[in-house]
Amino acid sequence: MDPKKSRHEPETSRPTLADEPDFSNSMRLTGAEWLVVGLFTLAMVLLAPSLWSRVEKFEIEPDYRIPHDLSNDYWLYDRYSRQAVAHYDTMLIGDSVIWGEYVTRQETLSHYLNEQTGEQRFANLGLDGVDPLALAGLVEHYARSVSGKNVILFCNLLWMSSPRRDYQDPEHFDSSHPRLIPQFSRRIAGYKEDYSYRIGALVEQRVPFNSWTSHLQAAYYNQTDIPSWTLEHPYENPVQPLTRPLPPSDNSLRHPPIPWFKSGIAKQDFPWIELETSLQWQAFRRTVDILQRRGNRVFVLVGPFNEHMLEPASLQRYLKMKSEIVNWLEEAKVPHHAPPALASDLYGDASHPLAAGYAELARQLKDCLP
Amino acid sequence: MLFHTWVFFVFFLIVYPVYLVVRANNRLMNWWLMLASYVFYGWWWFATSHQKPEECWKNPYLLLLFGTSAIDYLMVLFMDRSRTQAMRRLWLIVSLVSNFGFLGYFKYSDFITTNLNALLATMGSSIELPNPVAYPNAVLAAVNAPSDWYFTHVVLPVGISFHTFQSMSYTIDAYRGTIQTERSFVRFLTFVSFFPQLVAGPIERASNLLPQLQRTPPIRRQDITDGLSLFLVGFFKKVALADYLGKYVDPIYASPERFDAPALILATVAFGWQIYFDFSGYTDMARGIARVMGFHLMLNFNNPYAATGLGDFWARWHISLSTWFKDYLYFPLGGSRHGPLLTYRNMFLTMVISGVWHGADWTFVIWGALHALGRCLTRELEQTVFYKERVPTLFKQAWVFVFVTFTWIFFRARGDTEYSSLEKAWLVISRIFTAAWTDPRCPLLMAGLVLAVWVYQLLYTSRLAMARVLEWSPVRVGLAVAMIAYLAIVAQPSTNAFIYFQF
Repeated sequence: MDPKKSRHEPETSRPTLADEPDFSNSMRLTGAEWLVVGLFTLAMVLLAPSLWSRVEKFEIEPDYRIPHDLSNDYWLYDRYSRQAVAHYDTMLIGDSVIWGEYVTRQETLSHYLNEQTGEQRFANLGLDGVDPLALAGLVEHYARSVSGKNVILFCNLLWMSSPRRDYQDPEHFDSSHPRLIPQFSRRIAGYKEDYSYRIGALVEQRVPFNSWTSHLQAAYYNQTDIPSWTLEHPYENPVQPLTRPLPPSDNSLRHPPIPWFKSGIAKQDFPWIELETSLQWQAFRRTVDILQRRGNRVFVLVGPFNEHMLEPASLQRYLKMKSEIVNWLEEAKVPHHAPPALASDLYGDASHPLAAGYAELARQLKDCLP
Repeated sequence: MLFHTWVFFVFFLIVYPVYLVVRANNRLMNWWLMLASYVFYGWWWFATSHQKPEECWKNPYLLLLFGTSAIDYLMVLFMDRSRTQAMRRLWLIVSLVSNFGFLGYFKYSDFITTNLNALLATMGSSIELPNPVAYPNAVLAAVNAPSDWYFTHVVLPVGISFHTFQSMSYTIDAYRGTIQTERSFVRFLTFVSFFPQLVAGPIERASNLLPQLQRTPPIRRQDITDGLSLFLVGFFKKVALADYLGKYVDPIYASPERFDAPALILATVAFGWQIYFDFSGYTDMARGIARVMGFHLMLNFNNPYAATGLGDFWARWHISLSTWFKDYLYFPLGGSRHGPLLTYRNMFLTMVISGVWHGADWTFVIWGALHALGRCLTRELEQTVFYKERVPTLFKQAWVFVFVTFTWIFFRARGDTEYSSLEKAWLVISRIFTAAWTDPRCPLLMAGLVLAVWVYQLLYTSRLAMARVLEWSPVRVGLAVAMIAYLAIVAQPSTNAFIYFQF
């Protein structure tokens, strides 16, 4: 404030509409200029992802699986699924059991199926941490290209082993893929994410541009946004990471490939939940429906869960649930295979087989695939 | 609700089309805007209840907004019906006491209680004032309320300083007879709660906003394009610049003892830009939203870091608050009419109180006092021909920037379990002068962006011929496209609140 000035002026500084200065910069665009900006923005949103996919080299090799660090890169998953559909006739879709948590990429189910059939027919479209609710979102939005194909859909009963895993626990919500689960359409008690985040997730599912920008962050900037990346690399050129190649197919072992009982895992008393009230089971059925509506020939692989790890009472509840699932598959006329448990030493934990387990499972599956 | 979130986008997608339909009917328009504004403000309550349903009813946001508005509306009606000046003054006092009472309780009661208790303890008194929540809790106890209804701390309602000041300006102007009494309660509620500027200004005057609410706001094509332009610039300032700078500043100011001099200096400079981008970004967005609805809100920031003196700085920074204090505090105190000594006293008081307005902490008092001191010391100098004509503009801009940046240390310092705010500020200052000179690890991209904006502002405010290039259409279109591309590809979607919401 300037008292000296006010000696010569009326004692008021109230701005009026007439003398209000409107702008403090030159960014005052006309209608025509906004039209140009709008057209450019539209072109960027529509064209940038497809132009980028021409620039970014991505060729899948035999036994390719999505790098584990890019498990949340759904744009890459979408791109991979499109390439897989072009090269293979059978897609294996599911969670980390399909992806291969305790094995290298040359020891996964899809690898042994290819090996035992002597043809490169099976593609590993597994993704770590994709529970059935997230899987439905993944298939609906990021695997649209999977149509008219053979699909082996994996049903992991682990996701129905407790209210917490079934997202019925109002106090806990642990999802590796919160952006894939239903944001508003289904009430998930423990999911308390901000509404803007949820709307953003819905937009990202429907606008490839948004998932593409997430892809850039995930694949080139250590899973973070570019400003945060520059804090870690203050003097590096922020454009430079984009010139690097995409991470190669994941051939790492996430865990030591030893049987569950040798790694200190105790027997479990999973409570299991009632199938008719299970959110995960409803989502799984929805996934089957989505895939079938796209003209896919869906074959469901149920389990095999590590029954050796279950306490007797828990085992009974599990077997009941498994039989109910099989009944539903039969009633719905969905081809399926619900094998008995593998040998105890073929499991790394409750649901993940070791390499020999996958080989065994592939042998069984080869015989019952249509 | 934050302007730069998807929730606001959806909110506006609903509010705007309905507004366009109902605005021809003034009564309906005001009802709709009032309803939308209360939903906008109540979203904080809703968001809290979504996270902690058991806590939601303790948030007094909406009730307080409605209560202070209702009191001010009634007081002005009473003033209007009063036959004597004394009665008019009485109603004004009731209004001021209620506004300052609410503001004092919710914003300053903790600070006052803590300091008074410390003072009493120093004087050896055994008297200790109770925690401010004791007062509402005593009422709850009197009505035998369940124990889980009791308050544990005073909740500071978002933007309370903004809407109480806006509402107060109406009662004071009505008392002075410079505005007409507003008869419509709904229109008055809309004036106080008008959602674009409700929580962080600009603090509008009744003389500007109420007349706009009394008619159908004309919406010309230029209002739409100007509104979009303002919104884009504000959005960019907040998401691309302020939030980015905050990522660098926050960890350094959280633990200044872990950082050396260059990092502390750069973090302080970065905060100066962060708060500018954050606050002016908010008001740009607010003005843009209002503009597409046909409302004109006042300019609140006018390139303050291009100021050539401290007086000039305050004519460019948070203009709506500066002018509020000028009109309702500085001038009533006597302004500059009673000689230099009283002028400086009035100036000093106004600036210190303006500092306190920002927050209940000694650091804000010092911040205001430093600005007052700087202004008092340089006022005469700034009026000299030598300063005006001989001192290079860049030099003047540089010294103002350095001074203002230094004062931001007090503004930014926040107390924690280890240090008080004041200790934290002192720690930053002492380490700037004593700590080693090590790599500050300041991202070049961040520095480049700030530098680009700085150069732009200096160029824009200069009288250089080359400044006209900024007016060239391809440059403006190119800048708009670059901002959109940066926001879409580089910047992370943000749900960070605005710094000034806490005031």
